[in-house]
Amino acid sequence: MSSVTETPAGVAFAPTADGLEAAIALLEHVGERGGGIVGADERRAALARYATLPIPGGRPSRGWRHDYGALRFEELRYTSDRLAVPASTDGLVHRGATALAAPGSAASDPRVVVLPLVDAVRDARYRAAIPALDEGIVEDKFAGLATAFQNCGAFVWVPAGVVLETPIQLVFAQAEPHADAVFPRIVVVLGDGARATVLERQLGAGPGLVCGVVTAQLGAEAALDYVAIQQSGEEARVLMRRTAHCAADATIRWHLAELGATLARSVLDAHLDEKGANAEVDALFFNTGFQHVDLTTTTDHAVGNTRSSTVVRTAAADRGQGRFFGNITIRPHAHGSDASLRDDALLLSRRAHIDSVPALAIAANDVSAFHGATVGSLDRDALFYAASRGIARTEAVRMVALAFFEPAIARLPSEALREEIRSALDDKIEAATEIDA
Amino acid sequence: MSTGLVTRDLRVAVEGKEILKGIDLRVERGRVHALMGPNGSGKSTLAFTLAGHPGYEVLAGSVTLDGEDLLALPPEKRAQAGLFLSFQYPAAIPGVTVANFIRTARQAVRPGDLVPAAFRKLVFEKLETLDMDPAFLGRYVNDGFSGGEKKRLEMLQMAIMGPKYAILDETDSGLDIDALESVGKSVAALRASDEGKDTGFLVITHYPRILQHIHADVVHILIDGRIVKTGGPELAEQIERDGYDGVRDEVASAGV
Repeated sequence: MSSVTETPAGVAFAPTADGLEAAIALLEHVGERGGGIVGADERRAALARYATLPIPGGRPSRGWRHDYGALRFEELRYTSDRLAVPASTDGLVHRGATALAAPGSAASDPRVVVLPLVDAVRDARYRAAIPALDEGIVEDKFAGLATAFQNCGAFVWVPAGVVLETPIQLVFAQAEPHADAVFPRIVVVLGDGARATVLERQLGAGPGLVCGVVTAQLGAEAALDYVAIQQSGEEARVLMRRTAHCAADATIRWHLAELGATLARSVLDAHLDEKGANAEVDALFFNTGFQHVDLTTTTDHAVGNTRSSTVVRTAAADRGQGRFFGNITIRPHAHGSDASLRDDALLLSRRAHIDSVPALAIAANDVSAFHGATVGSLDRDALFYAASRGIARTEAVRMVALAFFEPAIARLPSEALREEIRSALDDKIEAATEIDA
Repeated sequence: MSTGLVTRDLRVAVEGKEILKGIDLRVERGRVHALMGPNGSGKSTLAFTLAGHPGYEVLAGSVTLDGEDLLALPPEKRAQAGLFLSFQYPAAIPGVTVANFIRTARQAVRPGDLVPAAFRKLVFEKLETLDMDPAFLGRYVNDGFSGGEKKRLEMLQMAIMGPKYAILDETDSGLDIDALESVGKSVAALRASDEGKDTGFLVITHYPRILQHIHADVVHILIDGRIVKTGGPELAEQIERDGYDGVRDEVASAGV
């Protein structure tokens, strides 16, 4: 990555009609290098939706710092590029909105396709596999922004019956010293019976904006572990909507860790469209400093005999703020559905704030639906117990706070990832300045 | 230097109410003291005060451990000085495994004294002595444990930390005969080990029956925040026979 020194052509980003025309002109000028999936008229329609759709989650109440209505986008650079680099590991790296990819698929298994989205769009074999955006995405204000300005992305295709052992990594790194406006569209398609792990990483310092849409389409009996780890710089804004559609007996496992950025919005949708489909969702955030995270999980039991299990752990120290919206929908006739939602919030300082807003809409009889939630501070009895064993207060706080996240961490698909997240959380606890217990 | 775990005229209040009204006690290394008393006499208050619980206010008096002023130390420093409290109701720490917890605890009280392999060997030896399933190590600390399992974990920690002084706060409460025997064996095993042969014990109990499994050298009777009588093992037998009311009457008629 360090060998890439060219600066791609760019325009100033603005979420306005003029800003969009400048973006469209740029994309045409560079030959739609990273764009290409969205036509100009479609972009204009998407921007109109962005402008008119309501702010998700409503306006934050008094005392909340982040107001989407007041988001500022000054000094962001809009680019789109694709650079050929030698293939390294399974996966694809973006630096800003520049795809760094070898010509051809970046997957070690020759049957698996990993391409910059623009390359996939130009290939008739793959273009047909890219699904249209569903209604839920179309009606999302920030998905509208992401669609209007889409300038990069990735395409992952695991054909029927292929079981991929190595995770496919999709890395989005902010390209310092620029502040880039990055609008990725990530498309993951698993054929019947395919199994894979995709690891999406949001990285890098700098005050950039990432606003993107991920869609995963799972064939019958397919299983996808999709891990999203957000460790962007402390001035970055990262707004991602991720949606999966599951055919019969398919399993989507969403794993999410929101650790960086000043403002992050993360939406995880799981649509259980056919019988026997499963969703397992684990998500965590730990907001320190002045971070704010909005996390939404929505599981839609469209038919009966579908199962979902959601485990969410949220914590805040210093002046961190966060909201969790947990939605479960069980549609009429979706008898025999089984849904559970467990969310726990840990407040580590007096000035930290977390809201939890569950919403269960159950329109069928003969279903099992569980919801449990807690909000609390560190368990003083546990801290005293640890102290009575000689464990110093800071160490005891670290131990008990880290342990809080463990039910979510435990569901990650590998020990290496579990250790990585524990270590990242540990660093955040270390760096936090306001922890009361 | 004054050896032993020593309290002098210790007065302690909880939420503004004086519970301990002047406790004088000396537990010597290698000896077992039993502190017996009815409910509400202040037994657990003494245990928590010695361990440094922030909810207990020391009004007067002193506590020293081999001459070191314990009251000046936070709870973790007291443990590092060699004090161990076996809790009547140990806290659960979901997400922290027993293995991680006992390793961290041992490291805190005896930093760097065992390489990982030696520590592992020690843990498995103690598990065997206490007749505990190694699967314990992978469970979360006290999370979903039965009463008996919690007390066994306390005994395991005591054996691994090898304290100079151990306070057993109602370790017998809620235990059946088998579990009680196992606690007795744990204490005997610790006293037979290199690390525990000099450990001084303060066994706090309501019922005399635990003293059939742990032989006490000295027995104290605590009533209404005061030690009203001190004697040998025969004192426990008297409690068994006459109950605390018998001692209360005796003390009252003696004009104490």
